[in-house]
Amino acid sequence: MSTLNIGGSQLDASWFLLLSAILFVLGAVGVLVRRNPLVILISIELMLNAANLVLVAFSRQLVNIEGQLFALMSMTVAAAEAVVGLAILVDIFRTRDAEDIDDLSEMHG
Amino acid sequence: MSNQTLALLILLFPAAGAILLAGRGWRLPRIFTVIVGPGVVWASFVATLALLFAKASGDFTYWTWIKSGTFEVPFNLLIDNLSIFMSLVITGVGGLIVTYSVGYMEHEDDPSYARFFCYMDVFIFSMLLLVLAGNFVFLIVGWAMVGLSSYLLIGFWYQRHSAVVAARKAFVMNVIGDVGMILGTFVLFVTYHQATFQGVFGRLNGCPRGVGQQCLLPFTSGDTFNLELVGFLFLVGAVAKSAQLPLHTWLPDAMEGPTPVSALIHAATMVTAGVYLVGRMHPIFDVATYAHNAVAIIGAVTALFAATIAIVQVDIKRVLAYSTMSQIGYMFLAVGIGAYTAGFFHLLSHAFFKALLFMAAGNVIHAMHDEQDMRKYGGLWNQMRPTAITFLVGSLSLVGVIPFVGFFSKEQILGLAFSKPDDNMVHVLWGVGFATALITGFYTGRMWWLSFWGKPSPQRPVEHPHAPRLVMMVPVAILAILASVGGFIQTTAIGIGPSTVTDFLASAVGSQRWEGGGAEIAVTFLTMILAAGLFAWALYSRPWSAYAPWAQRLLERKYYFDEIYDWAFARPTDWVAGFALRDIERPVIDAAVVDTGLLARAGAGGLSLTQSGYFRNYVLVFVGGAVVAAVILIVRANS
Amino acid sequence: MAIAVFFVAAALAVLGGIGVVAFHQPIRSVLSLVVVMLSLSVIFLLLNAQFVFAVQIIVYAGAVMVLFLFVIALLGPARELGRGRLRFQGWLSALFVLILLGLMWGLLQGVQYRQPDKGDLSFFGTVQSIGVGLFTTYLYPFELTSILLLVAAIGAIYLSRKRIDDV
Repeated sequence: MSTLNIGGSQLDASWFLLLSAILFVLGAVGVLVRRNPLVILISIELMLNAANLVLVAFSRQLVNIEGQLFALMSMTVAAAEAVVGLAILVDIFRTRDAEDIDDLSEMHG
Repeated sequence: MSNQTLALLILLFPAAGAILLAGRGWRLPRIFTVIVGPGVVWASFVATLALLFAKASGDFTYWTWIKSGTFEVPFNLLIDNLSIFMSLVITGVGGLIVTYSVGYMEHEDDPSYARFFCYMDVFIFSMLLLVLAGNFVFLIVGWAMVGLSSYLLIGFWYQRHSAVVAARKAFVMNVIGDVGMILGTFVLFVTYHQATFQGVFGRLNGCPRGVGQQCLLPFTSGDTFNLELVGFLFLVGAVAKSAQLPLHTWLPDAMEGPTPVSALIHAATMVTAGVYLVGRMHPIFDVATYAHNAVAIIGAVTALFAATIAIVQVDIKRVLAYSTMSQIGYMFLAVGIGAYTAGFFHLLSHAFFKALLFMAAGNVIHAMHDEQDMRKYGGLWNQMRPTAITFLVGSLSLVGVIPFVGFFSKEQILGLAFSKPDDNMVHVLWGVGFATALITGFYTGRMWWLSFWGKPSPQRPVEHPHAPRLVMMVPVAILAILASVGGFIQTTAIGIGPSTVTDFLASAVGSQRWEGGGAEIAVTFLTMILAAGLFAWALYSRPWSAYAPWAQRLLERKYYFDEIYDWAFARPTDWVAGFALRDIERPVIDAAVVDTGLLARAGAGGLSLTQSGYFRNYVLVFVGGAVVAAVILIVRANS
Repeated sequence: MAIAVFFVAAALAVLGGIGVVAFHQPIRSVLSLVVVMLSLSVIFLLLNAQFVFAVQIIVYAGAVMVLFLFVIALLGPARELGRGRLRFQGWLSALFVLILLGLMWGLLQGVQYRQPDKGDLSFFGTVQSIGVGLFTTYLYPFELTSILLLVAAIGAIYLSRKRIDDV
């Protein structure tokens, strides 16, 4: 059931899932470790892309178009979120100089 | 208007007056207070008269307050001749006194003036509730509220430290009595499961149903013990309220209140509540012979005790206070030997002449600019003739001189005590009462001669005292007339004539079962002559204290009762309270509350360390949480 | 043939991902992400998702990434300096990430695939099928998404407006 007949060859759906897992983890690492806020946003985009890959892969495995529809929605939401996030970033860092997310630590207890 | 409505109106008028004066009285012109304050009392008097003429009688229930299974406490009023009698005394004499105080309290500012009448109306309401209530619960409500009113009125001039202390003392002693009342009621509840008077009295084993019938059948011993206990507990209440030994120390101090208060509460009405209680509970006391005897003994002893202290008092109001204590002792003696109607007759006559004495004394005090020391009076006979005459009428009544009402009431009691058959203890008590009557003559005479006769004292604060206002003189005059002619409604003391009070009250409390003889009348007149003689001798007597200074000191210190009580009760209680505050309240209770707060703060402080403000920390926690959740899910899925 | 295409694209994607995380200059991170996206679009094409492939290139690589590039241009090229203030962050992150990876691998072992819903692939993934889905069953989410984009646009305009007191 997990084998996909693509262009005459037999691929396994679990490869796609593994790739997605690796990309997701890479994105998570980026969010956790990098200090440039821009790079953090980019890493989030990477994670979203990994999720999209899973959606499309399962859509193909089950031959159900809904997976791709969801991937489209996800892309839209990701775009919107990137826009707003960048706007906020631009607003914050227009006046400050340093681009280190550890500088934005005033909301502490 | 039905009797039921009338009975409720008697209570509602003073209540309405109190509420009106408490809420709006001090904002409206003084004329409002002057009309409402005494007006509602007179309205109640009229309502009581209406009930009297309608010969009303019945147990009227208005609503049920507590109903729990078979146990019921209604709000009911018991209207019989005894409650009508007491109502008449309270509203009639009370009305006169409240009217008098319109003039006496005129120097107060408007808010205080309204406050005074509000408190007086509260008192009238409470006292009426006490005597009209038809069940034990509301009796106690009225009892306690009367104590509260007494506290409020004694401490009326609350800026004075001595007044506040006296008010507190009165209230604390009253509460001791309240405890006795409540415990007695509990015993009755437990024994008979009834709350109303008719319910309990009807169930007294073997008694024919209905209030007012004497129980002649023997009782079972178990019931008798309970009833004895109840009798003694109620006696505690009566003793506290009526200022008898040993709970008497509050009454002289209560003279700190304004004179109308002393007249109303501490002469005519509140202190007679104990007598009313014994009368109302007579079905119980008829059976509980030990408690009944105790009533008589306490009464007689207090009468003598108080009379001796009155000899050395210099404050005119204190003399009257001790005299009140002594006369109530007579009333207790009367109801204690079974002569209930005689006791109530003395209650009525005492209300007349004691209120008269207090108000006349109030006239003198008012004219002397609040000077109460009799040694600074003197010679007022020439300057305040009407007051002096009324005071003389009251004094002769107190001593028991014919034809004043005091003679008929006091001598009836003594005569009945003298002639009670087969009871040696009562004869001893008669002796005590006889001695007291003589001493009464002496101290009353001293009081009158010192204040009104002779030359004006050089320490007089006022050279020419002004005559009292009309509103202060008229009630006094009315009472003087009542004291002069009132005795003729019951002249059984001299063996002939009407016995109105006895006949009136017989349906409620029964009349005594023995008659006096010729010897009784002879003794009566002998007592009167000796007492009057002492009254006169008091003018010429030499100071006897030179011979026995220790006696003078003993009497001046009121037999050291205050000191004993202070050492026995007040100081240990203070110590316990201090200990509780220092070692229990602060370390345990306060600390528990404070520590809970500190604990919450410490917890919050600890938890707030997780809010570092660093975005990356938060994401780490996020991911860590997701990892933990995933681990748990996988483990559970696989197990 | 398809397998080869897949592995090449996958390798490119992974390398791009590592590049996103590893480069110090943000411009290089952005460009690495573009590489990832292009590789992914190829993989989508392999998976019969023609429309999604096109959209990925046009929208994601073409619009969103360009947006990121503009922002980098606006804010200036910055390098991350120093070691930062949270010293344990790196170690803990590595720990969690490894656990995460292991979990995912474990999850993959237990995936239960079910039978495909349809057998016919001729209509699958075409523009027509996407259109049918979006405009019939999923019309409501489609419209909501457009509103979401409107909201995001308004938000972005508002957030980046010029303040009066700024120079």
